[in-house]
Amino acid sequence: MPRVRLLPQDESFEAPAGAALGDLLFSHGVEQPCGGRGRCRGCRVQVVAGALAPGDDDRASFSAVELAQGWRLGCRARVDADLTVALGRWSSPVLADDTPLVLEPRDGLGIAIDLGSTTLVAQLVDRANGQVLGVRTALNPQARRGADIMTRIDHAMHGGAAELTALVRAELGRLVGELLAAHPGTPRLVTVAGNSVMHHLFAGVDLAPLSTPPYEPEQSGEVALDGGALGWPGCAGCPVVALPCLGGFVGGDILAGLLATGMGQDPRPSALIDLGTNGEIAVSDGTRMVCASTAAGPAFEGAAISCGMRAATGAVSTVRVDGDGLAVTVLGGGAARGVCGSGLIDACAAARRLGWLAGTGRIKREDRLIPLAPGVALTQGDVRQVQLAKGAVAAGFDLLLRRLGLRAQDLGRVWLAGAFGNAIDRASAHAVGLLPLPPERVTPAGNTALLGARLALSHDDHAYAALRARCTHIALKQDEAFEDAYLEGMAFP
Amino acid sequence: MVDLSPLRDAIIDGNAKMAKALTDQALKEGTDPQSIVTTYLIPAMDEVGRRFECNEYFVPELLIAARAMKGSMELIRPLLVKGGVQPIATVAIGTVKGDLHDIGKNLVASMLEGGGFTVVDLGVDVAPEKFVASVQEKGVNIICLSALLTTTMPAMKDTIAALNSAGLRGKVKVMIGGAPVIQRYSDEIGADGYSDNASSAVQLARKLAAAA
Repeated sequence: MPRVRLLPQDESFEAPAGAALGDLLFSHGVEQPCGGRGRCRGCRVQVVAGALAPGDDDRASFSAVELAQGWRLGCRARVDADLTVALGRWSSPVLADDTPLVLEPRDGLGIAIDLGSTTLVAQLVDRANGQVLGVRTALNPQARRGADIMTRIDHAMHGGAAELTALVRAELGRLVGELLAAHPGTPRLVTVAGNSVMHHLFAGVDLAPLSTPPYEPEQSGEVALDGGALGWPGCAGCPVVALPCLGGFVGGDILAGLLATGMGQDPRPSALIDLGTNGEIAVSDGTRMVCASTAAGPAFEGAAISCGMRAATGAVSTVRVDGDGLAVTVLGGGAARGVCGSGLIDACAAARRLGWLAGTGRIKREDRLIPLAPGVALTQGDVRQVQLAKGAVAAGFDLLLRRLGLRAQDLGRVWLAGAFGNAIDRASAHAVGLLPLPPERVTPAGNTALLGARLALSHDDHAYAALRARCTHIALKQDEAFEDAYLEGMAFP
Repeated sequence: MVDLSPLRDAIIDGNAKMAKALTDQALKEGTDPQSIVTTYLIPAMDEVGRRFECNEYFVPELLIAARAMKGSMELIRPLLVKGGVQPIATVAIGTVKGDLHDIGKNLVASMLEGGGFTVVDLGVDVAPEKFVASVQEKGVNIICLSALLTTTMPAMKDTIAALNSAGLRGKVKVMIGGAPVIQRYSDEIGADGYSDNASSAVQLARKLAAAA
C-alpha cells in the first residue's frame, strides 16, 4: 500500500491504492471548505516527494507556476504511490488574500488551540512568521460525559465540573507535549479558543451562570493560566490564555473568528455565522458589532433526522435536481446509508425546485417523502426539523441586522465558520432561506477558531480585548420580535 | 343564528383581521357569545389541530391561526365573564424555573384557549411557588409545565413536589411538555400526563378535565 506523509505535522500512514487524498486529509483535520467540490483551494497541498498528475480542476485553480511548484487540490487527488505533501492552508497566516490583517512578528514559539466540544486541535507556531511547525488533533475526552454542551453543563452542575476540567487540561497537555517533543523549544504563549462552555470548563470557571437565566457568564474576561501550573510539559512560566467570551453562549471561538476574518478592520458591513447545534452569529456595520446565539438544534449535524448521520462514509452529502428527479453524491462513493447536514439542506432546496415541497414545508408528493437514494428518504418530520433549525438561525440573523439598522443586502460579505458551514452548499442555503444572501457574497472561512487563536499569538495583547469591548451580546429570547422572525424564518422562500 | 362559517375559515387560514371583523359584526348583531365559541372557534381550532397532526400544518400555521382565534376571543371574553359562563376548566401554564423558552408554551396556551379553557399564563422562568399560588388564588384545575432544556427539566419535578408539600396535589392535574420531555419522565416524576405537541395537549387537557 502507498505511504502518505503529511507536513508540517509529519504524520505518516498507509492508504489503499487509488484512495481519495481528500478523505485521508479530512481524517487528519484538513477541512474542505467547499465540501470537496474542487472550488475553494482550502485543502490545497504542495507535493514535496512523489508525484500527483494535475487534473482539469487543478489547472483551473492554480497558475502554471503554482502547478510547477507542486500545488494540487487535495480533494481531487488520488493516491497511487508513496507521497509526501505539505498542507497549504496551514502555511498561510491569514484567511483570505485580501484580509487586511498584518501579523506582528514576535519571538519564540506559540501554541494555538482550538478547544472544540468534539475535537481538539493544537498547532505549534513560529511567532516570527506565523508558520505552523506542527499539528496535533484529538477527540475531546469530555465527550464521554455527553456529546453536546448542555449535557456537559448538566454533568458539571452535578459535581462533575472538576473532572471535566481535568480531562481536557490533561489531553491538551498531552498534545502540547507531543508538539514540543517533535520541535523542541520553549513556547512563549498559548492561546485557547472555545465556545463559552468549553472556555469555562477549561479555565475552571463556574458554569452556574450559564445554566440559569439570563444565561450570562459571570466571568467572560480573558483567563490566563500558567502552563507549568497546568502540568504541561515544557510550559513552565508560559501563559496559557483562554480567549474571552463575547457574552451568553457566544464564546472565545467567535472572538477568534472576528480576528481571523478581519471583521474588526473591515469598514463594510459584514457577518460571521458558525452553524452548529448552537448557531452563533456576529454582525458588524463597519463600526458597531452585535452577536447572539440561536438554538438551531442538532438537525444540521444529522441528528433528529430519521435517516440522518454525520458527514462520514455513506452519507448523502450533495443533492441536485437532475431532470425531474434528484441526483446525489455519497461520501466515499459507496452505497448511501443516510444523509448529513449539507445533503439535508441540498435536498430541501432541490425538492422545493421540483415542486415537491410547498413554501410552508409540506411535502406535496403522494408518498409524503423526498426519496434521495435506495433506503434513504426525508420524511415530513425531517423537513420540519430543518425548518425549526433554519428558522432559528434566520431569525437570529434578522434581529441582529435590525439592531444595526441593516438589511441583508447591505452586507458586503458573510463568513461561514465551522465544519458544517464549510460543507454546506451556499446556493442551497440561500434557496431554503437559511442564509439571506446569494452564494457570491458568502465565503466559507474554515476553522476560524483555530486561525484566530493563531493570530492572537502574534497580536497585541489588547487587540482582542478591544474587539470584544466593541461587540455587544444580544439575548434573542428577550427580544419581542423573535417569535415573528422565527415564524417567518421557518417558511421556504 | 346566522351562518358564521367564514369566521371558522378565517381562523383556520390564520386571517386575524377577517376573524376579528366577523366576530365584531356577529356580536353587534346580537349573536350569543358562548355559541360563537362553541360553534365556530373551538371547531376551527380543532380543525387546525387536525391539520397539524396530519402534517398539513406546522408551527407557523398553528401560531397564526391561534393568533386569529385570540383576536376573536379578546372581543368575546369580556361578554362571557359578564354572562358568568363557566369554562371547561382553568389552566395555569408556564415555562419552569431556569428556562426562558416560550414559543412552545405560548402555542399550547393559545390552543387551550381556543379549545375552550380559561388560561392563566404565568410566563417564563416560573418558580414552583408561583404555580402553587395560582392554584390557591385563581382556582386553577390543571397546571401545564414546559421545559426546553435537559438542565431545566428537574424544575418540573420540583414544582410537583411544591404542590405536594402545599397539600394541593390532589386538587390539580399536572401535564408536562417540551422538546426533551418524554412519557417516561412524566411517569417518573408523577405528572398526570405528557403531550409532545400543542394539538394533542388540548385533547389531554380535555381528558384530564373530564376526569377531575
